[in-house]
Amino acid sequence: MASAPPGPQRPRPPFIPNPNTNTNPNPNPSSLPDSFQNLQIGRPPPPSAVPRGVAPPLPFSSAAPRPAAFPAGPGPAPSVAAAPPMGPPGLIRAPLPSAAPPQSHVVRPFPGSPPAGAPSSQPFAAPPPTAPQTFSVLPPQSSGPFTGNPALAGPPNSQPYMAPPSSQPFFGTPSSQPFRGPPSSQPFSRLPSSQPFMGPQPPFSGPPASTAPFGAPAWQPQPRPGAFPGSVPPPVRMPGIPLNAQNQMMPPPPPAMGYSPHAGTQMSTPLKIDPNQIPRPMPTSSVVVFETRQGNQANAANVPPPATSDFVVKDTGNCSPRLMRCTMNHIPCTGDLLSTSSMPLALMVQPFALPHPSEEPIQLVDFGETGPIRCSRCKAYINPFMRFIDQGRRFVCNLCGFSNETSRDYMCNLGPDGRRRDADDRPELCRGTVEFVATKEFMVREPMPAVYFFLIDVSMNAIQTGATAAACTAISQAISDLPEGPQTMVGIATFDSTIHFYNLKRASQQPLMLIVPDVQDVYTPLQTDLIVPLTECRQNLEQLLESIPNMFESNKVAESAFGAAIKAGFLAMKSTGGKLMVFQSGVSMEVPFFCEAHKLLQPADKTFKTMAIEFAECQVCVDIFLTTQTFVDIASISVVPSTTGGQVYYYYPFSALSDPAKLYNDLRWNISRPQGFEAVMRVRCSQGLQVQEYSGNFCKRVPTDIDLPGIDSDKTIMVTFKHDDKFQEGSECAFQCALLYTTVYGQRRIRVINLSLPCTNMLSNLFRSADLDTQFTSFLKQAANSIPITPLSQVREQITNLCINILHSYRKFCASVSSSGQLILPEALKLLPLYTLALIKSIGLRNDGRLDDRSYWVSHVASLSILLAVPLVYPRMISLHDFTSKEDDDISLLSATLPLSSEHLNDDGIYLLENGEDGLIYVGNMVSPDTLQHLFGVSSLDGVPNQLVLQQFDNDLSQKVNEVVNEIRRQRCSYLRLRLCRKGDPSGMFFLSYMVEDKTPGGLSYVEFLVHVHRQIQTKIA
Amino acid sequence: MKEFLDLEAQDGVRMTWNVFPGAKQDAVSCVIPVASIYTPLKPIPNVPVLPYSPLRCRMCRAILNPFSIVDYIAKIWICPFCFQRNHFPQNYSSISEDNLPAELFPQYSTIEYESNPETGPTVPPVFLFVVDTCMIEEEIGFLKSALAQAVELLPEKSLVGLITFGTYVQVHELGFGLLPKSYVFKGTKEATKEQILEQMCFFTRKPRPAVGVIAGTRDGLSAESIARFLLPASECEFVLNSVIEELQKDPWPVPADQRASRCTGAALSVAASLLGVCVPGSGARIMAFVGGPSTEGPGAIVSKTLSEPIRSHKDLDKGSVPLYSKAVKFYEGLSKQLVHQGHVLDLFACALDQVGVAEMKVAVERTGGIVVLAESFGHSVFKDSLRRIFQSSEHDLGLSFNGVFEVNCSKDVKVQGIIGPCASLEKKGPLSSETVIGQGNTSAWKMCGLDRKTSLCLVFDIARKDGPDAIGQPTSNQFYFQFLTYYQHHEGQMRLRATTLSRRWVAGPGSVQELVAGFDQEAAAAVMARVVSFKMETEADFDPVRWLDRSLIRLCSKFGDYQKESPSSFSLSPRLSIFPQFMFNLRRSQFVQVFNNSPDETAYFRMMLDRENVNNAVVMIQPSLISYSFHSAPEPVLLDVTAIAADRILLLDSYFTIVVFHGMSIAQWRNAGYQSQPGHEAFAQLLQAPRDDADAIIKERFPVPRLVICDQHGSQARFLLAKLNPSVTYNSDNPPPHGGDVIFTDDVSFQVFMDHLQRLAVQQAYS
Repeated sequence: MASAPPGPQRPRPPFIPNPNTNTNPNPNPSSLPDSFQNLQIGRPPPPSAVPRGVAPPLPFSSAAPRPAAFPAGPGPAPSVAAAPPMGPPGLIRAPLPSAAPPQSHVVRPFPGSPPAGAPSSQPFAAPPPTAPQTFSVLPPQSSGPFTGNPALAGPPNSQPYMAPPSSQPFFGTPSSQPFRGPPSSQPFSRLPSSQPFMGPQPPFSGPPASTAPFGAPAWQPQPRPGAFPGSVPPPVRMPGIPLNAQNQMMPPPPPAMGYSPHAGTQMSTPLKIDPNQIPRPMPTSSVVVFETRQGNQANAANVPPPATSDFVVKDTGNCSPRLMRCTMNHIPCTGDLLSTSSMPLALMVQPFALPHPSEEPIQLVDFGETGPIRCSRCKAYINPFMRFIDQGRRFVCNLCGFSNETSRDYMCNLGPDGRRRDADDRPELCRGTVEFVATKEFMVREPMPAVYFFLIDVSMNAIQTGATAAACTAISQAISDLPEGPQTMVGIATFDSTIHFYNLKRASQQPLMLIVPDVQDVYTPLQTDLIVPLTECRQNLEQLLESIPNMFESNKVAESAFGAAIKAGFLAMKSTGGKLMVFQSGVSMEVPFFCEAHKLLQPADKTFKTMAIEFAECQVCVDIFLTTQTFVDIASISVVPSTTGGQVYYYYPFSALSDPAKLYNDLRWNISRPQGFEAVMRVRCSQGLQVQEYSGNFCKRVPTDIDLPGIDSDKTIMVTFKHDDKFQEGSECAFQCALLYTTVYGQRRIRVINLSLPCTNMLSNLFRSADLDTQFTSFLKQAANSIPITPLSQVREQITNLCINILHSYRKFCASVSSSGQLILPEALKLLPLYTLALIKSIGLRNDGRLDDRSYWVSHVASLSILLAVPLVYPRMISLHDFTSKEDDDISLLSATLPLSSEHLNDDGIYLLENGEDGLIYVGNMVSPDTLQHLFGVSSLDGVPNQLVLQQFDNDLSQKVNEVVNEIRRQRCSYLRLRLCRKGDPSGMFFLSYMVEDKTPGGLSYVEFLVHVHRQIQTKIA
Repeated sequence: MKEFLDLEAQDGVRMTWNVFPGAKQDAVSCVIPVASIYTPLKPIPNVPVLPYSPLRCRMCRAILNPFSIVDYIAKIWICPFCFQRNHFPQNYSSISEDNLPAELFPQYSTIEYESNPETGPTVPPVFLFVVDTCMIEEEIGFLKSALAQAVELLPEKSLVGLITFGTYVQVHELGFGLLPKSYVFKGTKEATKEQILEQMCFFTRKPRPAVGVIAGTRDGLSAESIARFLLPASECEFVLNSVIEELQKDPWPVPADQRASRCTGAALSVAASLLGVCVPGSGARIMAFVGGPSTEGPGAIVSKTLSEPIRSHKDLDKGSVPLYSKAVKFYEGLSKQLVHQGHVLDLFACALDQVGVAEMKVAVERTGGIVVLAESFGHSVFKDSLRRIFQSSEHDLGLSFNGVFEVNCSKDVKVQGIIGPCASLEKKGPLSSETVIGQGNTSAWKMCGLDRKTSLCLVFDIARKDGPDAIGQPTSNQFYFQFLTYYQHHEGQMRLRATTLSRRWVAGPGSVQELVAGFDQEAAAAVMARVVSFKMETEADFDPVRWLDRSLIRLCSKFGDYQKESPSSFSLSPRLSIFPQFMFNLRRSQFVQVFNNSPDETAYFRMMLDRENVNNAVVMIQPSLISYSFHSAPEPVLLDVTAIAADRILLLDSYFTIVVFHGMSIAQWRNAGYQSQPGHEAFAQLLQAPRDDADAIIKERFPVPRLVICDQHGSQARFLLAKLNPSVTYNSDNPPPHGGDVIFTDDVSFQVFMDHLQRLAVQQAYS
């Protein structure tokens, strides 16, 4: 996409003026122009050169518009930090008195709010104040000339929009519509202080088509998240591995990644309008260092970098945002304020999130036999926000306010600053996250060993599709990644319509196969010896895994007793707990054959739920690998993993050719990622709030705690809150997540994660500190939760309304008076409409999907991290065909993302789209045979299966593509399932369904959506 | 006696009354029931085996026999049972007085027919081992080696399967070559055939036949699916041996205060259903090796708590054993299933404690199974018996399968039932008496398992009410029985043995002498023993001693020679003379005096009694005693304490136990080692002679008896003393002769018993 810019850009100078006139929320007239300039920034044609800000939140608006901006001078070379851009933003800001407090560097001012009194701050551009964006939407008629196809038409050239608009300069609202003023523009600024560049994006006005101007968001160059694969602790290996050589690890990723994954997201927005405008990830490889707490005070400006960006956390009191982050970085003092904002108040907790490699590890604190210091009233754990008083003899709990005696052993004098003198030497007093060694008091029994029980479907189907062989191979290879030591125990069973256990503990003898035929009433055939220390049975196990596919070669049993099998597996491990990994292919005998379609998203009956609760009580965590070619009723099956802290892996349709590698990598990552067993988690918060609900994969037996038989680095738990009291302005609201768990080496630990956020009475503060990625993830999970119980159309409407309500609230209470024709977006949430649009077009919310796909989506989303939630809905697309012409390294190749619009697909191009799960390779119908030869080893794709195995050939293109794919795998901790999509064939249509900015038969284009949102807001205001 | 033995040698039949009382009333007054003990497969030299199907009467289905009246001209034969005239078929057209088919030869009253290959396939016998694993390692070791030996001896063609059990039941899939593989069933549940079919994947990929399926290859089971579990012995010897070799104690832990959890009932149920699925209707035996009481699931006989003792006769009498009747009911159900399928249950119970033979008796007995009871799997009673089953030798058992036994009788004789190892097929006909004893209400019985010694006791009912007037015509004095036994010969083919007998009626005054002349007192003793055992098991509050005494008194009263009220005048004909002695010993035997034994032992003794022929039954009732001394050749002596002498060796054969008893002096000499010194060869021979005779008995007996070698005054001597007539006791007036012995008992001696008998028999009241 790098190219495209022209069209859109066409600036509409005309607009410019308008903006001025407009009462923009962002007030400056001047800004407009600026804004344009800003836009340019984004656009720098040569992406490389340009800084890309990938920022999450871009304000921007309408489709068409970006124009103006680019043209602006800066356009061309907005060099990095280029001053020019800065300037403008600065200006903008200034005017905007936004409430935004002046931030010191990090701050993002928040634009939109004029009201805030003191605009004091940001005079300077430098600070990245984000500007609020206003757009003016052109109303109605999008139908106008342009509208129709903004996207499509748009091609390369210039301004599609422009032209049409002839009549109307702005969007044509030919008809009746009055026309809204020109788009207001938003200035916005880029902010990252540190970042050199800021791309302010000017607001621009929407082209005829409906849209509004949009401003390029300010982004900060985000640090690239990419890091994480690398970040995995050493022992852990990432799954991303080339197919062919599964065992080899890829070289570690470069420490700093140049691109940000979420760059992808970004682009999306603006693209339609003006591809050039799209902010891109910055090439800079610099990583932001985020100090979680500055000084000893909660600092409103200290907003964590977007979840999807690349940053390094320095834990200076609050926890790393990777572990826990809030939908907003200010806590509203009252529930009324919260409901006025319409924003969700929730925490995303990912207690084992992978750190950046250069971050400090979490420190372990051992209080000896007395155990960790806790508030004697609310049992909160000691943390940096507990205030020591009275010469240190007492401390006040930051959660419940109770004043506790300090035990004699723990006594220490206070320094002149009121802190304990030893505060900096004690991790629990200076770090947001610490781990305590658990004492006996936290154990009902000895910590459990690491138990892994494998359950493999060997029914006829599984055998014939190669699924059984794939599972056996995967397990066989993966067992070397199990934690070492006598604490590691394994067991295995296979099943068809009966269940086959294996006694592995038979020195120098073959394993003994024991069949449990009665699936109505299952039991384990032995009490011991079914689960054996790995060290004692490795050879037997390997031999057995090798022979299982042969043993059942001629199996004619078509059914598989999934429910009975997991029950049996559970019974075998009941006494210890552990991980039960099920490889299932066939249709489970237990699932009723036919249900009404709308009920299918709910479990068919309560059996699985009851079973799952029992599993959870015994600390058995179930992961299910569905290697299937048929409907398997994921809705019913997934209840088990989701209740036990496990997850579903879905390989549909299973291909013996391409899927075994993914299966292996998934399994390997599953067992080698950081994780804990028999965990109990509780989130506490300051008085004034209370936990409303937990959501994720766990079992809840008492209202306050959740039980997690298994918890790992990929699992995220959402915790929502509601007010039960008020906070004082200026006070802080603290959150503390305590996770009691057993490590894979059998140590009992308590991981305590603390976050303390300032409280505010100002709505504008809330908007300014809103965390888009987190809020979006919260919406995503909410949507997933309602899918099984609500008609899809309603869910889509709910989601749209959430978006509208928030924007409406902002428009109504924070934006300064402006013409009703403007769509004004808060800077922090400027991508919200785009994400919302992408969400309602996602697999889970589409009407046309397979039931299993939707159910899988629902179960997948339930535990998804913020980092993966965004790309799942708004995938990343890059072009592959022109790789060789670029000199960049993988990372910058990856950051050259394209907007998800079919406008950007050329017939002679090859594109890769990835959402963290699947990788779709789209091949146009005019691609040169040479390129095909280089990439696929064939000169024509006829006959190449859609389920692709990407081979590496000895040429530059192939190597680069392979590197890039592996890089993505590393970033996502997931082995992409590659699928070949050809233009003009159903697979091509499938690919196009990911082009969320396109108009689809059942859905609006991006531009249309903005118009829709705008209209709704207007209606409300009116 | 001789003539009875001759008759037995010819046809395998002994009858209590070889001359029948002519009317119902007469029969009742004869006291001893009209009964016969028939050994269907008794090896009879020179019995022809005819390679064709028998000729049957078209009216009563009786088979052409030497008693049929044949009209050679008209080619017609008249059935002696129903007098129906039957035409000979074409293939008998050449029949004439000089050209008789074998079945008409008078000496071939017993004859066999063999199905030719076209009429029936030869099916190999099936042996399904069901092995308990809840035992101490040592016992398991013994059992393993015994099984390994048995596997070696299995007939080549026979099919073998293996089931082991403990807490759970494991069915070993011997046909699966890659790994040792077994199906594990819960011990707490019975397994129906339907479950087995479904759960062991017999119908995969095939539509299940309509309901009511019996299964087997005929009903669509593939041979391969059956061959997973039942394989020719020659093919699976290796696998079987390795599985047996690896047998281990049941791995489920047993708390110290509990019995092992052993699901014998479930295991047998699985075994029965498996056979029912795989080989219904063809010969198969379940051979159960049980090392302790069943405590789990159906058929449990005792709870797991060790503090609860296993039921005794006393508990049974009191009715305080809830598990007992439940278990018996379960085994009754099992026996029905087995009988329906034609399969046998053999029981090898080896434990110091009881294992539940009493409960399982019904299943073993009705299927004609073998039972062996021993203290340990290492004991020769078990080891040698097991070997005997498979070893071919002159004494081999000739195990046959799947028999059906039918009876034809002349009019006016009906069958009350059979006491013995068989099950009624409920084929009620004119022949079945209203009065039922044993397996009755039918004229056909199933004998799932039978061997050369299996002996049935048929009890008849004389239905004729006619007075003496009818008895004038000599022809009508004769009447006939025909016993038909269809069975699967141990070589595989189906055979039919037909035995046709003729006896005559007597009636009226003067018939007493004739009746007495036809009285077989040994057979009568055997029948009385079976009847009294049966009644003890089935009739509540039955007083066996009183019943036996009354019967004996009435018999003596009717047939004795005496003057009324004059005991001293009493005498018995030689035909009856030792009958009182049999009754005396029967009263004292383990069959009647059950309180000295556990219910398991009693059940075992009775099962043996009910399947043995007259000779062996008599030994059980009244052991034989042989004396060896320097003074004379070995000679039988009275079963009396006075037989004991210091310089004698006694050999007691009580059937289950053989005792070699050395008199005091003999023991001293032996201990001094004279037998190995030159010059004392005679003593060595004297010592050896009873041992040789004991070995001879052991060799032909099954189950192998227990051999006890003891010395006078030794502790083991009790095995002898318990059986002897206590003519000299501790309070006898006359002390024993030097070297003799006394018995410490208050039991009456035979002499006292006879005195009472004589006194009562001559009383008016009993005549």
